[in-house]
Amino acid sequence: MSNFKTVGKSERKLDARGKVTGKTIYVDDLQMPGMLYGKVVRCYEHAHARVKKLDLSKAAAYPGVIKVLGPEDVTQKEYNNSVIPLMVPEEMQQVLGDIDDQKIFTKHVKHYGDAIAGIIATSAEIAEKAAEKVIVEYEPLPVYLTSEESRQPDAVQFVEGKPGNLAFELPEPVFPNNTMGWGDVDDAFEEADFIVEDEFYVPKQKQCQMEPNTYIAMYDEEERLHCWTSTQMPKSVQRTLSKLFEVPMHKFKLHTATIGGGFGARLGMILEPEVCAMALAVPGRHIKLQSPREEDWLTSPSRHPGRYWMKIGFKNDGTPVACDAKFVSYKGGYYLDGSGVAYTTGGWLSAMYKWGALRYKGETYFTNQPICGAFRGYGNPQTNFAMEQLVDRACNKLDIDPVEWRKRWHKDVGDDGWCAGVPLSSCALDECLDRGAEAIGWKDKRAKYAKQSGTIRRGVGVGVMTHTSGASPMLLEHTVSTVKLNEDATAVVTLACTDMGQGSHTTLRQVAAETLGFPVEDVYMNVDDMDAAGYDIGAHASRTLYVGGGSVKAACEDAKRQLFERAAGILEANPDDLVMEDKNIFVKGSPDKSVAAEEITKAGVYNFLNPETGGRDKEPGQIQGYSSYFPAHNSPPFGACFAEVEVNTETGEVKILEAVNATDIGKAINPAIAEGQLDGGAHQGFGFALTEEMYFDKDGKCLNNSFTDYKMLGASDMPKMTDILVENPDPYGPFGAKSVGEGGLVSPIGAIANAIYNAIDVQITEAPITSEKIVNALKNL
Amino acid sequence: MNTRIMPEFDLLLPETVEQAVSLLDKYQDKASIISGGTDVCVAMKSGYRTDFLISLAKISGLDYLEYDPSTGLRIGAKTTISQVLSSADVKTYYPALWQAASIFATPQLRNTATVIGNLLRASPAGDCICAVYALGGNIVLQGAEGQREVSVDEFWLAYGVTARKVDEIAIELNLPAPVKGNRSSFKRLTRTNEDLAKLNAAAHLEMDGKKCKQARLSIGCVAAIPMRLEKTEALLKGAEITDDLLEKIVTNVGNEISPIDDVRSTAEYRNQVAGVLIKRVITQACCKS
Repeated sequence: MSNFKTVGKSERKLDARGKVTGKTIYVDDLQMPGMLYGKVVRCYEHAHARVKKLDLSKAAAYPGVIKVLGPEDVTQKEYNNSVIPLMVPEEMQQVLGDIDDQKIFTKHVKHYGDAIAGIIATSAEIAEKAAEKVIVEYEPLPVYLTSEESRQPDAVQFVEGKPGNLAFELPEPVFPNNTMGWGDVDDAFEEADFIVEDEFYVPKQKQCQMEPNTYIAMYDEEERLHCWTSTQMPKSVQRTLSKLFEVPMHKFKLHTATIGGGFGARLGMILEPEVCAMALAVPGRHIKLQSPREEDWLTSPSRHPGRYWMKIGFKNDGTPVACDAKFVSYKGGYYLDGSGVAYTTGGWLSAMYKWGALRYKGETYFTNQPICGAFRGYGNPQTNFAMEQLVDRACNKLDIDPVEWRKRWHKDVGDDGWCAGVPLSSCALDECLDRGAEAIGWKDKRAKYAKQSGTIRRGVGVGVMTHTSGASPMLLEHTVSTVKLNEDATAVVTLACTDMGQGSHTTLRQVAAETLGFPVEDVYMNVDDMDAAGYDIGAHASRTLYVGGGSVKAACEDAKRQLFERAAGILEANPDDLVMEDKNIFVKGSPDKSVAAEEITKAGVYNFLNPETGGRDKEPGQIQGYSSYFPAHNSPPFGACFAEVEVNTETGEVKILEAVNATDIGKAINPAIAEGQLDGGAHQGFGFALTEEMYFDKDGKCLNNSFTDYKMLGASDMPKMTDILVENPDPYGPFGAKSVGEGGLVSPIGAIANAIYNAIDVQITEAPITSEKIVNALKNL
Repeated sequence: MNTRIMPEFDLLLPETVEQAVSLLDKYQDKASIISGGTDVCVAMKSGYRTDFLISLAKISGLDYLEYDPSTGLRIGAKTTISQVLSSADVKTYYPALWQAASIFATPQLRNTATVIGNLLRASPAGDCICAVYALGGNIVLQGAEGQREVSVDEFWLAYGVTARKVDEIAIELNLPAPVKGNRSSFKRLTRTNEDLAKLNAAAHLEMDGKKCKQARLSIGCVAAIPMRLEKTEALLKGAEITDDLLEKIVTNVGNEISPIDDVRSTAEYRNQVAGVLIKRVITQACCKS
């Protein structure tokens, strides 16, 4: 493997210089001539209400207001901010019960901050002042913050066709008895020597991407609708908006912009429908729509909170004979990824351990909380918090080392991964566990912390995870890429894969350069031309390097094949015998007789007729490689996180002292970027475990939609982090790579929860594990 | 809901305290004072309206921090938290204030936020308020009629309300000169390191060997305004600080406060843990001279 030129090297991130010098342009930096400003009028009086009267006349009369838009002034078609339904066949959408239940401006307010009207004005200040002139009368409706409330028979129905406000449960036709799993769980529990069982609460965590939500849209003279957006999924959003506004795709130009973080919040759309509706209402003018930071908590999707009940039966030797689980989540006001998370949460449960029998139920109910959708991990954090704690509770009872138990019972190559019928292609979790345990000093610390007294207690814990590389075969996986060889033998790769900051454009460039055999500096990534770029689903499911990289590799192989075929003609050799070094092509072992790549690429473009022969001396045509790539697998990565904490039993304060994140990455294309993903993932995983949650009062008003009171860990809260990249090349991934985007968030959750358990001998079943909960639990011992 | 757009206001830039006072006298409650701006600017983006902002920016000579062993510490109206942090005298003689400054908000905010601004905010979670309350001292207010001094014991009246009249400017904080055996300390509990306190506490002890001659204890986030723990202070007065006494204090503090639930913590937790925090500040004050 050591003969790679760029793969495996920590090449500088393409976006690093611009971002650290403040030169990078985001949508909010764009100023268009004669630009107008939009404002979405939101309901902050109620979390559940009907709009009885909406009077926009005073707002319309406000000087500087160009147009006001009520619910009837925009398309009446309904849509779904998530674009996930595009990725399953229409028949399957029917089976799943996926619905479009959002309107641009609603008359049925379903959560605090729901959109009721729009204003377009000559300045943001005027738009905001005019918004204060909007007169609304509401009919308040009962507020349901949990499924326990919204599922009651007399509850107001959120949409037709979803009785009991049950947005989704595993559908009977695909999952008999609405359950996922295998074996007879009830019989299997009969064989158990003992059972661990509990109900857990998992929090409404927010992505908190740094860039607030800003968009520009314009409907031009050629009846082309433009939208500048930092979505993670440009092609899917283009398709969805094109259908929503009945604008054919060639007349819809989506301008991708720098993405200031996504983490799933930008999986699909946030305010793209609103800004496009405004642009269509005022043709010929650019309209910028920005929402304040505080609105992001209310208008972009969060992680799904809810109650997770789990029961696991064990034999005395540790054999996990059965697992029974049910996750009931609070969907929020709209459907979005209703089917996705409820399903995958069980998928991750099925993928981790060799349960003798498994039965999982996933249900999600509409509630009057802001929307839920995709968030890095997509159901996996919720499962990890419950499953990993119960496993450790059992290990404690059985006196089995939690690392040894995991090594014995995790799924391995040949076992089904998260999707039944798709066996694991590679797994290096044992090595992750061994090296992680070694790095943190597991055995010594576990022994040392076994018996402690006093107010300062330490604990060390482990959590493991498996995730996915792309969403196949559950969802469509497809990326198109082209690579064009310029006359001077430099290359331009064109594709629609986005980089949210995770470094995918840098790693895709390394894949391209390595495949072409060109220096990495000779490859340019053309990633912001959505008219030129072919289809790509977008950044989700930890797919960009795995699927996008597979596509780039195939396109570059295509280009290189053409290059070598032409070289073979010149060298009178077999293309299969050729190699390239320093962009000179020759028969392997005979570097003396070579042809420069540039000679071929130049001749392909500047190709003239020979005046004497009337023919062409060299082969004409600019070389372009192409790939429309559908991956053959989903190569789940594995990982083990170890964390050491210190807990003060008097105050419940938790300090993370150290963490080790060991990941089975297949092959690290760019180790620094992979480590960045693990550190960033751990940061959000620690936050899930310890501090992050949106809170509401009884009326559904969000109490902490700002960084003052929504607490992510800061730099000084983070422990010493050690990342271990375990390289065990996967047979399907490009250069053996598997994903690293999401999994790094997951196992730190179990690791922290179990470290606290190790320290204080009590498990906290509600996340985040706050000081208040710890003190309370210790008091009730 | 918060906005990125400030409401309209007139910015007034007096060049002397007298000019500022006369502007306040003229506009009364239609005006607000801005110095560091870390509170008022945030408030103005979340619903607070004021017609006039009277800035102290052009008034020179208010950013002093002067320590005199015989008269104590004087902190001017424009003195920032960072200035406090860089003072060796504050660190030595008023450790509670220095410790409060050291964890105050974030480095960026410490460079612009002022000590007096924090006192005027009158938030029960204010870290400098908590430290200053324990240290004792006076706040100098200047109005059209001249100057007056208000003891910190009478300065905070209700949430966000101080003894300052609308036409007065708080121009100085005076902390008393340390006497022999003077010790102080500050601590707080937060959800993350960079956070507002969910509990904060400060102790100011006058020690004679192991014996405590006098004690001032302040605690924040347990009432609408920061409070003194007078019953607990009485337990300390004249007593030797032993482990038994500290345990008694831990229990006693819970009985002296009536906190509430809010987004940062719960009443139950505050009740249980406040005593622990008081124990910590007493212990820390005693351990460090």
